[in-house]
Amino acid sequence: MNLEYTSSELMAVAGARELSDGQVVAVGLGLPIVATFLAKLTHAPNMTILFELGVIDPEPISTGVGLADPRVWHRAKVLSSFVDILGAVLHKGRVDVGFLGGLEADQYGNINTTLIGDPRGKFRHMIGSGGANDIASSARKTILIMRHEARKLKQAVSFITSPGYVGGGDSRMRAGLLGGPSRVITDKAIFGFDPTTKQMTLLSIHPSTTREDVLANMGFAPIVPERVPFTEPPTAEQLRLIREQIDPQRTYLG
Amino acid sequence: MNKLVTLADAVASIPSGSHVSLSGFAITRCNMAFAREVIRQEIKRLTISQCVGAMDVDLLVGAGAVERMIYGGGSLDRFGRLAWVNRGIEDGTLIAEEYSSLSIAFRYLAGSLGLPFIPIRSLAASDLMKRLQEQDASQIATITDPFTGDQWLALKPLLPNVSVVQVQVADEEGNAWILGPRWDNTEQVRASKRAIVIAEEIVSTEVIRREPERTVIPGLLVSHVVHLPFAAHPTSVYRAYDYDAEQIEAYVEAQNTRESFRAYLDRYVYGVKDHWEYLERVGGTKRLSALRADPILGY
Repeated sequence: MNLEYTSSELMAVAGARELSDGQVVAVGLGLPIVATFLAKLTHAPNMTILFELGVIDPEPISTGVGLADPRVWHRAKVLSSFVDILGAVLHKGRVDVGFLGGLEADQYGNINTTLIGDPRGKFRHMIGSGGANDIASSARKTILIMRHEARKLKQAVSFITSPGYVGGGDSRMRAGLLGGPSRVITDKAIFGFDPTTKQMTLLSIHPSTTREDVLANMGFAPIVPERVPFTEPPTAEQLRLIREQIDPQRTYLG
Repeated sequence: MNKLVTLADAVASIPSGSHVSLSGFAITRCNMAFAREVIRQEIKRLTISQCVGAMDVDLLVGAGAVERMIYGGGSLDRFGRLAWVNRGIEDGTLIAEEYSSLSIAFRYLAGSLGLPFIPIRSLAASDLMKRLQEQDASQIATITDPFTGDQWLALKPLLPNVSVVQVQVADEEGNAWILGPRWDNTEQVRASKRAIVIAEEIVSTEVIRREPERTVIPGLLVSHVVHLPFAAHPTSVYRAYDYDAEQIEAYVEAQNTRESFRAYLDRYVYGVKDHWEYLERVGGTKRLSALRADPILGY
């Protein structure tokens, strides 16, 4: 086994580490899928995996082009509906972790997947919410996986599709929303959120990069503690599972 | 009662300006043959609603059949974007009311139950909410829980004129089975005034009566039943056929310019007289047989 790893593999492993056995996890496609299945195959065998359109605990044997691909519903225990999954499980308050991707995020973990540009002027419209806004509103906590670039980690996002801590402090709670973002995993670092101000806080830096590189590629200044450790690298077993079992064609890893 | 009609007759029952809810999700169980027939019959100014925007609505928007869209975001999965929907929003030619998956599903649910509104936690503190509040005749408001005094967002029910649903199995009365996940389909049908069922396979009512617990759409809600194999092509129908990657890629390629899209419509929509000619044009029996789902895998 080649123990060198890509940033995508490290992000997936870091995501898996945030999940615990017995949790109910709502997942979107891409790296969150790899992270979630990796956790399920290692330390979290009793995790319940949900896809928004009505899928519980699938066991795919092929990767898919999206949630609409029957390949990712394979061997599910339940095939039902939005109201059943996003309603009776998520809105009811039964989702422990929501795993999201984002085009842009700001220092309070607010996510944009709707448009790039000026919403009142020239913009390019993108995918929109799907279940992301619902998951960000009602999951006990959310984890965001995204690329680390200054134009994506912005002081203010162009459009809040899925709210994080809104304007910081207790503004999320006052809006009547549950939970909130717990981690942002990028290809350079992992962030948490300050318990009081809710600003993004640097937790660890990936071994391939430096503190300067992490900060230079952000559109805002996160809280940086005095000592910031390196992110723990993947183990040989984690890499084997990702490469041989979960995503052998590198559909999600790229 | 036998409600079996041709696709052309079912489509002709929909006047221009109607609110139609579609059963597609990205690239699966999309109302593709239906959309092609709507375009051929030059039905215009439609309002389309759908939890997750799919290939069916993108084709309709690209062909100029849609005035307003009520949806929760969408894409063609990894194949690409809903380019015509996105462009319509960007240049203002398409009126879009943009929600999340659950808020659309809840609006159908309220409609299906005959409720005047439904409270929801989603959308709060987002720009989706702000946009929706700014729109004329806003369908979203803040209410106070009469029991606790808490503030909630409330959504109006969605009440389409007609729901069009792609299913695997139905009888001639419209009692229908949907195999696999149903996303918002059962709520859509119940919220709508009536439904058109497009079935891959028609069975006798006796078959339905033997496993009635599988019936997710009761015939009493259905006005027309259309028997049309491969009606969702090039999108997939679980346990019937896989998506046709080459044909979806051809569509994505055609989205590039007005001219290339016009050529696509000429070849696959205007240039064929009906669904049967369309199926011949995309490769006929040989091509379609290759897409048939494996009975164990369902794709």
